[in-house]
Amino acid sequence: MENTVVKIQDLVKRYGDLIALDHFSLEIKEGEIFGLLGPNGSGKTTTINCLLSLLSYDKGSIEIFGREMTPVSYDIKKEIGIIMQNVAVFDELTVYENIDYFCGLYIKDKEKRKKCIDEAVKFVGLEDFVKFYPKKLSGGLLRRLNIACGIAHKPKLIILDEPTVAVDPQSRNRILEGIQELSRNGATIIYTSHYMEEVEQICTRIAIMDKGKKVAEGTKDELKRMIKNTETITIEILELPDNVLRDISGLDHVYDTNYSDGKLSVYCSGGKHNLLRILDVLQKKELGFGRVYTELPTLNDVFLEITGTALRDKEE
Amino acid sequence: MQVFKAMFKITKKRLPSALAYIIVFIVISVIASSNASKDSKFEMTKLKICIFDEDDTSESRELSELIAQNHDIVEIENDRDVIIDSLYYKRADYALVINEGYAEKLRAGDTADIFASYCLDESFSTVYMGQFLDEYTNSVKAYLSMGMPIDEALSCTEEALSQETDVSMLRNDKGGDAHYSVDFAAYFQYMPYILISAVFIIVCQVLVTMNRRDIRFRTNCSCISSSKYTFQLFLGSGFFVLAVWLLFMAVGVMLNKEMYTGRAWYAVFNSLIFSAVVAAIAVFVSSFEPADNILNLITQVLGLGLSFLCGVFIPREILSDKVLSVARFLPAYWYINANEMIADVIPFSSEGVIQCYLIQLGFAAALILLTLLVRKVRYSGAAISTNVRKTAVSH
Repeated sequence: MENTVVKIQDLVKRYGDLIALDHFSLEIKEGEIFGLLGPNGSGKTTTINCLLSLLSYDKGSIEIFGREMTPVSYDIKKEIGIIMQNVAVFDELTVYENIDYFCGLYIKDKEKRKKCIDEAVKFVGLEDFVKFYPKKLSGGLLRRLNIACGIAHKPKLIILDEPTVAVDPQSRNRILEGIQELSRNGATIIYTSHYMEEVEQICTRIAIMDKGKKVAEGTKDELKRMIKNTETITIEILELPDNVLRDISGLDHVYDTNYSDGKLSVYCSGGKHNLLRILDVLQKKELGFGRVYTELPTLNDVFLEITGTALRDKEE
Repeated sequence: MQVFKAMFKITKKRLPSALAYIIVFIVISVIASSNASKDSKFEMTKLKICIFDEDDTSESRELSELIAQNHDIVEIENDRDVIIDSLYYKRADYALVINEGYAEKLRAGDTADIFASYCLDESFSTVYMGQFLDEYTNSVKAYLSMGMPIDEALSCTEEALSQETDVSMLRNDKGGDAHYSVDFAAYFQYMPYILISAVFIIVCQVLVTMNRRDIRFRTNCSCISSSKYTFQLFLGSGFFVLAVWLLFMAVGVMLNKEMYTGRAWYAVFNSLIFSAVVAAIAVFVSSFEPADNILNLITQVLGLGLSFLCGVFIPREILSDKVLSVARFLPAYWYINANEMIADVIPFSSEGVIQCYLIQLGFAAALILLTLLVRKVRYSGAAISTNVRKTAVSH
């Protein structure tokens, strides 16, 4: 059985009348890439800040590596690496000096530190830029420097708070691959984001947050199984008589249909060969159709069904 | 010592611009202190005057000679444009025309229209010369009315106006100690403003960089404690302030043309202690992460405010009691107090100077404590209200 790295129990955090975290509980096992998904204001950053003891909380408890986390738990902090959305480096120091500074806050031994810095530089692929000042780096390279500063001391728990915001696709892929490599090397990772595709791509387990509460938790497949929708079939069709639409709606496992702008959407819940059965109805009525495609549910669908709102809509 | 080293590296990057400031400040303070000795002497002001004697009588010549005794006579062509040009280009301060009929009118006791003059505006020289001519003619008229003949009236007037009053400067006793000259006292007098400005411009900006929200967040997540971090910030600031202070002391040696001796050491220690106060103020102010423009404003307000309230720029004798009672709560007041004791402006006592040192050190200690408190509240990890249990700190 894997060890529990992070254990949050019944956490309550209030800002005046606003409840930022409402009896929030979480358990993260060693080696997991744990995704914390939710729109802005859902409580992700508050959770991270409480986890790092940067914020006090009103109720509950936090344990990391089996020990209670307090502001003076420096032995625990030593094992944590943090990578934030904003690039937190000194403009006046070179790439190497920046990594050295942040690594030096954890590792005193000069030789050991040098080895760690070299490995971090190699890991993020900044070998050719060590003498560059941050202002001379592109956005993607800056993000990589930000990551190097957070992981150089080889933490066992790495917290990444939306590290790919405003990053080009190439750098984003590199960052995501890097996170997976860190996990393969034994680190436990907490990844917060509102980009569902990223979370789906790399996270082994996901918690969805909304209004300070955990609304769902599990692997991506477990989460998708939690919702009614298992398949959405879309067929381009110029004309669809009402009786045909009624026939399709009456098919087994079809729980909803929608026809608008020449597109028929059929929402299915479970069952097999749903597409074949729908196409069979159309052929029997001798109705011609264009493109046909099916979509499996996304985390956004999970979020939509659980909270009644799309994840992206909430960003605005 | 990661924080200290990073501070040092950042300061090094900013040093060229910082040095420019320091050099400017040193030049200003050297100029200010070299002007100080001039303030302690009194001498009559001599004007450059050109006289056009259109009357050409013994009376008018006598007036011209009297003017020549107290002022410098310049020769200028009697042409309106030339005269105006001379006044404009400061070749002459005042152009006096003794009108024809001057002697005749003076004898009759009529002083209307006996002179004409050229001047650009109501400057000091115009007023000064106008007063002299009024005094002269009134005096002659007074003697004439007493029944004196004109020759005697003129000589009596000349004698009366030639009398000089002894003027002694109130602050001429400043620098009574053999090892602490007037110039040197002035050098230390202006140091609070210079130290505040120089240190704030450099140290505060470096500290604000170190305290930037994102950097601070990352640092707070690390295993360095808030007090250790703050201690290193103090150390870095102190190191820089010490370097600036040493530079000022080295300039002081050059200015004094000899090594510090005797009472001058009191002033040296006084400035060292005040430097520590300035470093403490700088770290305290930067804890609030002011923006660049706010920081400049704070620098000006603190630099000028402390200097004006505590008697750096204005002698404390002319400051009101209310101002001085407020100034007592400011460290620069005690710096100036010690400085004035050392310079014998107020009676010197080594106990009094040491008391001023201790009060300044008290200010520094209070500011350090306030900074630790502010940092604890603003930056350090949260004080978790429930289940507070301090675990052993290990690094």
